[in-house]
Amino acid sequence: MSAVRRAGLPLLAAWLVIAGTSLVPALCQAAGDAKAGSDVFAGQCAECHSLKEGKNKKGPSMFAIVGRKAASIADFKYSDAMKASGFQWTAAQIDAYITLPKKAVPGGTMKFDGLPDAKERADLIEYLTTIK
Amino acid sequence: MNPCVKEKFMKPQRLLRGLATAIGLAGALLASTPSQAVPSFARQTGQECAACHIGAYGPQLTPYGVKFKIGGYTDSDGKEGKVPLSGMAVASFTHTGKKQDEEPGPNTKKNNNFAVDEISAFLAGKLADKVGAFVQVTYDGVSGDTALDQMDLRLAHATNLQGKDLVVGLSLNNNPGVQDPFNTMPVWGYPYAGSPLGFGGPETGSLINGGLEQRVLGLSGYAFYDNSLYAEIGTYRSLSTWSQWKMGLGKGDDPGKLGAGSAYWRLAWFQDMKTSAYSVGLFGLNSSIQPDRTSGTPSNHYNDVGIDAQYQFLGTREHVFTVQGSYLHESQRRNALIAAAEASNKHGHLNELKLNTSYNFRQTWGASAGFFKTTGDSDATLYSSNTRTRPNTEGGVFQLDWTPFGKEDSWGSPWANLRLGAQYTAFSKYNGSSHNYDGAGRKASDNDTLFLFAWTSF
Repeated sequence: MSAVRRAGLPLLAAWLVIAGTSLVPALCQAAGDAKAGSDVFAGQCAECHSLKEGKNKKGPSMFAIVGRKAASIADFKYSDAMKASGFQWTAAQIDAYITLPKKAVPGGTMKFDGLPDAKERADLIEYLTTIK
Repeated sequence: MNPCVKEKFMKPQRLLRGLATAIGLAGALLASTPSQAVPSFARQTGQECAACHIGAYGPQLTPYGVKFKIGGYTDSDGKEGKVPLSGMAVASFTHTGKKQDEEPGPNTKKNNNFAVDEISAFLAGKLADKVGAFVQVTYDGVSGDTALDQMDLRLAHATNLQGKDLVVGLSLNNNPGVQDPFNTMPVWGYPYAGSPLGFGGPETGSLINGGLEQRVLGLSGYAFYDNSLYAEIGTYRSLSTWSQWKMGLGKGDDPGKLGAGSAYWRLAWFQDMKTSAYSVGLFGLNSSIQPDRTSGTPSNHYNDVGIDAQYQFLGTREHVFTVQGSYLHESQRRNALIAAAEASNKHGHLNELKLNTSYNFRQTWGASAGFFKTTGDSDATLYSSNTRTRPNTEGGVFQLDWTPFGKEDSWGSPWANLRLGAQYTAFSKYNGSSHNYDGAGRKASDNDTLFLFAWTSF
């Protein structure tokens, strides 16, 4: 085996690990249905969150939430816990958060007990990715 | 409650009549007027009226609204500078099946009356971190009087117990039940608007069904555990006639002096599943009233015990269904009425049954129907004006309404709020009979009432 080949194996393994890690959340999330996610949003979220850009209710706007940094809307008053979370709202992070918000961000102020159904979460996240 | 908390406000009842009132004879003629809508709550929370109210208006609360009220009207979007003031006005047209024997109010006709029912101002919203208010002052367009209407001042503290949410609080209020977060007790029950110049329901009512409103001051403590279990207990004292007068309430309608130890209690189990919700509960008021306020004079005693339940299908809020029901039993001991020769029987009772359902499309178009039935035992003196000497009354209330605003995308939100409605109350029995209930040939159906109303708040 050449030196090049010997060096390549660990690199390949590392790449697979990295790629695999990034794929895990996506594989764990069922493929979402944006239409169904729209209904989930209407039933679970819309009382406190608007989809309009710049429209904050009790909770911040969900416009372009996917990929946004947590606590990044300037004129919304976030909890200290959310400010300190350092979250980036990837699909995986949103999934973890809305599963059980009080566990994901202890001390957060969102009054939502969580969405235990993985399919509903996937649908919702798929829908939110379309809001931008 | 919510952004636009609309609560039903039964106005100071113009129907109360002396001792008869004390015993629970609250006139139906003077039924409730439309309830309040309080957009200052919406401005405070940044949410639309529809978040807290079924149909985006009126006092019927969604689960979110229930929690807002329990939280002491203090929830907000965190921004400063919100002014907790709102206004409301109601105008209506009333037609009854047959003209009434007497004009139902000053400057009115015996039938077919247009009226500005009421104009109200509210202090409603967060006053401090844990202190909120819902205080209404109302100009009664029929009588021309202005008076303190509903009042509910709250102190609420949110904490947790064994890892579960817990809200504990105090309510200082002037009407037993005005502080209740559900819409199944009399104060906030269906119908949420009623004609001040027609017939809105039974003429005879229990003590907790408007017999004390605005004439008392009460303090209650409550707890709401794990967003499920609600428990409350409180007590009431009567206001002096001087205090009532200073608040704009007529001395002539003073129900009397409440006995010490008047107890109000409430227990309910509530579940919010986001797309549906339900509650079941028990409630009660145990009190005595000394009509003559003089030491040593007799009192009438009342013990009201009720059971109530409601279910709401909320879904995506496009189609919303609700069902509500309550049953109340009142035991009476009429010592003062007997002494005044205003009753024949020392003991008596009243039963009040209410069932109603509603459907709302897109939080804009509403249809609702309700059934009410009041029964009681015969008393030849107390109910002497009723042919069968009983208070028994039953019928239905049907309503169609249109609420164009109050949603997120609504024009003028959250300042512009309007409900236009057509309500019809039909009686199959009134004051004991279907026909000739008053001995003068008047039928129950003669009191059927068509009530067209425009109700706005800002």
